[in-house]
Amino acid sequence: MNHFWRLLWKETRELLRPRYLLPILMIPIIFLALGQGMGGIDDAASGQPTIGIINEDGGEYGELVNDTLSRNASVVYYAESGDPASAIETVSERGGDALLVIPEGFTERIRDRTAGSVGVHSVVRSLSLSGITSSAQIDGQIQRAGTVLTLNVTGTTPAMLDPIRPAYTTYIEERTVETSPGALSGSFATQFIFIPVVIMFVIIFSGQMVINSMGAEKENKTLETLLTMPVKRSTIVAAKLIGSASIGLLGAALYTISIYYYQSSFTDGGASAALSLGIWDYAIVGVSLFLSLVGVLAFALVLGVFADDRQGAQMLLFPISILAIVPMFATMFTDVARLSLPIRAVLLAIPFTHPAIAPKRLLLNDTMMVFGGIVYQAIFAAAMIWLAIRVFNSDRLVTGSSGQLGRLLSRLQS
Amino acid sequence: MGVRAVQVADLRKRYGDVQALRGVSFDVEPGEIYGLVGPNGAGKTTTLRTLSTLLTVGDGDVDVFGADVRSQPNEVRKRIRYLPEDAGAYDNLTGRQYLEFIADFYGDDPDALVERGIEIADLGERIDSKTSEYSKGMTRKLLLASTIMTEPDLAILDEPTSGLDVENARTIRDIVKEFPGTNRSVLLSSHNMLEVEFLCDRIGLLNEGEIVAEGAPADLIAEYGVENLEEVFLEAVV
Repeated sequence: MNHFWRLLWKETRELLRPRYLLPILMIPIIFLALGQGMGGIDDAASGQPTIGIINEDGGEYGELVNDTLSRNASVVYYAESGDPASAIETVSERGGDALLVIPEGFTERIRDRTAGSVGVHSVVRSLSLSGITSSAQIDGQIQRAGTVLTLNVTGTTPAMLDPIRPAYTTYIEERTVETSPGALSGSFATQFIFIPVVIMFVIIFSGQMVINSMGAEKENKTLETLLTMPVKRSTIVAAKLIGSASIGLLGAALYTISIYYYQSSFTDGGASAALSLGIWDYAIVGVSLFLSLVGVLAFALVLGVFADDRQGAQMLLFPISILAIVPMFATMFTDVARLSLPIRAVLLAIPFTHPAIAPKRLLLNDTMMVFGGIVYQAIFAAAMIWLAIRVFNSDRLVTGSSGQLGRLLSRLQS
Repeated sequence: MGVRAVQVADLRKRYGDVQALRGVSFDVEPGEIYGLVGPNGAGKTTTLRTLSTLLTVGDGDVDVFGADVRSQPNEVRKRIRYLPEDAGAYDNLTGRQYLEFIADFYGDDPDALVERGIEIADLGERIDSKTSEYSKGMTRKLLLASTIMTEPDLAILDEPTSGLDVENARTIRDIVKEFPGTNRSVLLSSHNMLEVEFLCDRIGLLNEGEIVAEGAPADLIAEYGVENLEEVFLEAVV
């Protein structure tokens, strides 16, 4: 094993310790559990309800409603008369959630072209999201029975129940899309809301890992020994950057998967592809994200030089977190290209804004801003690596003496 | 005459407004134990860190076995091992794993180095305990073992027995005393005059960034006409 791999092994082993790993694992586990819960509720809501029916009507339309309900629900109790209060107890004992009462005179009211009422007696077993989903199921079945009734009474066709089909054309900057603004928004949200979130996680986790690595060296008082070993400083820097990036990307991947799973529990997962990126677009976003990662790691390594210990290292993460969170929110809730010049300039000056806005700009064929951003990120990353190697070759790593910046960062940790 | 282990000529170093070293000059011969002695803030650690390539050279020339610290730091690092005063070990590793990690960077037979390190550290079964569970004395013995198990040409030891009890300090002094060979040297710093007198072939008295006296302990005692090194120190420094 050469020196680089030995150092990389050491970094990875250090950063895979429970003290660093558990906080990373906790939030994905919470999101997965939430997603599991929401998925269970959705499954229950889309399932067949278990009901009881009292049909006091005896007419043809009462029977039609009874037939429709019976075909689409599991009927555990049926009677043509009786007290609903006692009948619901029987339904509940048989695992049912609701008793539907079709009252006497229902058919006459429909014949008179007035609305007929159906009594719905429900049992809520627990006051929770999953406990009250049966209400939506029952409402769905009643609506379906009403549609069957309308078709039967009026003799119309299903198309005539919803006779106007709007054909949408939406114009967005230079593009024309054959879908409604609402569907476009939904499509965009489901496809691209993740990208800024993922970028934020990648930046924060990777930054956290490299700062932790430096904080641990300082706290263990191992840095001086490491720096006097027969290894080039650039090799030490590279091992720290790559080791931290590996764990940071692992953390970001776990977060992304868990949040995707959580969000997909609310949707059918098959988002409309009214707007979508091609493989090259994703490759460009990937390049932008990679440059962000390199830049943040080197930046964090420079900050980590000023960490007194692990606790101090956490505080030094603060500026990186701000630089990661601001572009995320700006991209999620606004279009950077439409902001006022000063605000846009501030956002574009943050290197981590560029991968976050890249998908939107690529969708709108605004490649100028994307490639300009990539050039800017490359310059930022190169400058940060240069600075990191320079700091590693300077006295600052050992003495901590660093003028105004060092004093500012020391105050941040105190 | 062969290449000197250490050659420091007019070394100067400034931290902001503070002139830490004001023209330090000394040599260390192969096979020699050389001690830098001086009060707190005299510049001992700065000198050792400069030789270890941790700090940049302000002004002057610093060579280790003929390699210039400024222009050939990687060559210097191949010849030295440095034990900082307040060093620690990676607390997620056992003593053995720590020795293995260090040994992997030196030589073709790291296993042999680790065995030597275990023998020098003499921690018994505790060599397989996490270093986070070690006492200060145990950690110091482990670190000293990791420093000299690789048989560096120059071992640079900053306050090797600082903060240790009598027994542990004695053990470490014995290890250091036995270390030098024909081509192996030791450069150490210490506050402890008895330790310096016991260990060092020659010493340099450092005060306010300058060597104010230099020589073999016995010669210095004779030169100043005093009883021991402590009195030499007080005569030279105060």
